[in-house]
Amino acid sequence: MRRRNFMILGSIIGISPYLSAQSITLEQKRFAKIKKTIATVQAHMLPDHTALPSARSMHTIDFLEETIFHSTYDRDIRRFVIDGAEELERREGGKFTTYDTTRKEKALRAYETDSYGSNWLSRIMTLSMEAMLGDPIYGSNIGESGWKAVESFGGLPRPRTRYMGR
Amino acid sequence: MSNEIYDAVIIGSGASGGAVAYTLTKAGYRVAVLEKGRLVPREAFSKDEIAYCRRDIVTPNLFEEYHVIEEKVNGRWEATPTYDSGWSFWNGNIVGGSSNFMSGMLHRMHPDDFRLKSKYGAIEGANVVDWPISYEDLEPYYTLAEDLVGISGHHLPHPFEPPRSTPDFPQPPTRENAVVTLLERSCKKLGITPLVTPRAVLSQDKEGRDACYYSNFCGSYGCSSGAKGSSREALLRPALATGKLTLLTNTHVKRLVTASKNRIGHALCVDTITGKEHTMHGRLFVVAAQAHESARLLLNSADTHYPNGLANSSGELGKNLIFSGGGSGQGELHKEGLKHLSFEALMQPGYFVNRTILDWYFIDDWLEGKFKGGSVEWMFEHQNIISRALKHNYEGGRLVWGEALAERIHKRFTQQKSIRFEIFNDWLPTDDCFVSIDPTHKDKYGMPVGKLRINGHPQDIKVGNYIAKKCEKILEEMGAKHIYSSVSAAPAQNLVAGGCRFGDDPKRSVLNRYCQAHDIPNLFVADASFMPTGGSVAYTWTIYANALRVADHIVGMLNKGNIRPLA
Repeated sequence: MRRRNFMILGSIIGISPYLSAQSITLEQKRFAKIKKTIATVQAHMLPDHTALPSARSMHTIDFLEETIFHSTYDRDIRRFVIDGAEELERREGGKFTTYDTTRKEKALRAYETDSYGSNWLSRIMTLSMEAMLGDPIYGSNIGESGWKAVESFGGLPRPRTRYMGR
Repeated sequence: MSNEIYDAVIIGSGASGGAVAYTLTKAGYRVAVLEKGRLVPREAFSKDEIAYCRRDIVTPNLFEEYHVIEEKVNGRWEATPTYDSGWSFWNGNIVGGSSNFMSGMLHRMHPDDFRLKSKYGAIEGANVVDWPISYEDLEPYYTLAEDLVGISGHHLPHPFEPPRSTPDFPQPPTRENAVVTLLERSCKKLGITPLVTPRAVLSQDKEGRDACYYSNFCGSYGCSSGAKGSSREALLRPALATGKLTLLTNTHVKRLVTASKNRIGHALCVDTITGKEHTMHGRLFVVAAQAHESARLLLNSADTHYPNGLANSSGELGKNLIFSGGGSGQGELHKEGLKHLSFEALMQPGYFVNRTILDWYFIDDWLEGKFKGGSVEWMFEHQNIISRALKHNYEGGRLVWGEALAERIHKRFTQQKSIRFEIFNDWLPTDDCFVSIDPTHKDKYGMPVGKLRINGHPQDIKVGNYIAKKCEKILEEMGAKHIYSSVSAAPAQNLVAGGCRFGDDPKRSVLNRYCQAHDIPNLFVADASFMPTGGSVAYTWTIYANALRVADHIVGMLNKGNIRPLA
């Protein structure tokens, strides 16, 4: 089973012209352009006023950015996160972040019907959950709000450094 | 470093490497243990789910070091590098190896596991053979390992419980969640006898190691109290205290180099931080790198004396790789409708379920016939918070998000707890499960990567399904909801053995009964590679016991001067 099929598929259909090796700097520049798009998707997935803390209040986008650019993170998935956001904006004519809730829901559900889009949304969900329910040392799950919401807490001892100092 | 000649150079610091190092250093011999990973201090073993369970922090980056896995897809063999699949076959590359991260539910193999072919006869398509040693040969070392590692438990007589030379375990069982009463009550109603699980976790302090503090996050994590009976805590620490052990971290062995046809002269190593190569010399060499990597090292060490790989005159090197067959299943115990147990007691974090079922270790079924079965371990679903939150978040093929997601997750965490069973049964050795070296793929050190062809035998699935159905009945009796089980031919990559079978016939085995290479007297393979069949329990206790047995033999050889000093 090849996890990268969805990324390769993206390149074949022209979604990902930059699949070949890129520098981190270039990827950071590309990320800066779609950071708001991803933050908007996260806020739609984890909105305010539910039984869980919101993506906005937990700064999940900052966690996502630091995570995907960390040396321990899979470089192909980092590119996929960026590519997928660019593709969403391409589909929506660059206006996704300006939509109201109803239109965002419609756009994301439409994106989800495509296996590429479905995989991308799943990845964003995973990164959002990692932010909300990972140890607060990673900068999200502020005040252990995520853990308090699910009445489950990380074990002891807690980490003193991120990624065991790596 | 390169000029010193050690009595023994051990490649790998996991369960078997630690056991050999312990025995040899206690006997006064100078030993070097070469570990490709780093030393993680005990206090650094936090319960950081992101670091330990969701990133490659204690295993190599798959883009730099990987395996190629060959599976049968639609009738054809399809090879996929693990950097592509994400299916890592590394299992903890730090000092102590994967023993740092085990759950510690350990069992001895049954005496009949040592004579499976004699007991049940040949199975078509499977290369089942009897072991060259018996349970009686290994029993003293099971007992020794129980004491050194610190295995807690309580012995209860059972027809399929192996005989013991001591009446009970050195430590009482670890604390148990009240769900045990419900499990036992349900089993009793079905005529099933649950036993207390022997666990390599201290229930009491022992020699510089603190008793378990019930962190709620045991398996997949290192232990910050030293309670878990890892190689590093139970064996390497006391070995280091002798002053006879040199532990070299970040040291990867690329190949073993022969000094002559009958002797390994040195190990060619690379410092994984600097990339600088150096050599390590020893009177003898003990390979303990975990089964698939040990075979790979010997294959990669081919030279003019051994063009097909070291110790491979039989052609058996890498063959008959085995995993643990079986599967798992679980059900949800909901607050509403919970029987014979308060919800508060069920939700008590940290305590173990600690129950094993051996009733189906050997099966004599009026409909299915007589065949070798397996064991079952009971536990709660792993309490990792992120992974639990990410489960079952699809409905009608679509991701759930927004308010619906919040309600679903909140309910799952606060209104129910899932109980789980894991089945361990024999993974029958076959011609279609082996390790070789890949002709094209190389790791970052320039060495060919291990290529693992993996295929299970249909009997493995049959046994797993038979037992899973029985376990689902127990969950039903407990009142669990949403019960499911999964038995597949995909192996648990952390339960790997075989590839360097031991046996008395040099034409059919790589190692002799003391796990010494038939071809090269100063070469031993001490990890699970030696196992011709795997039994129906986790391998770890057997690995510890056998490595202690092998080490005793090595000490005997060294004492007698049977290993020549280098000129």
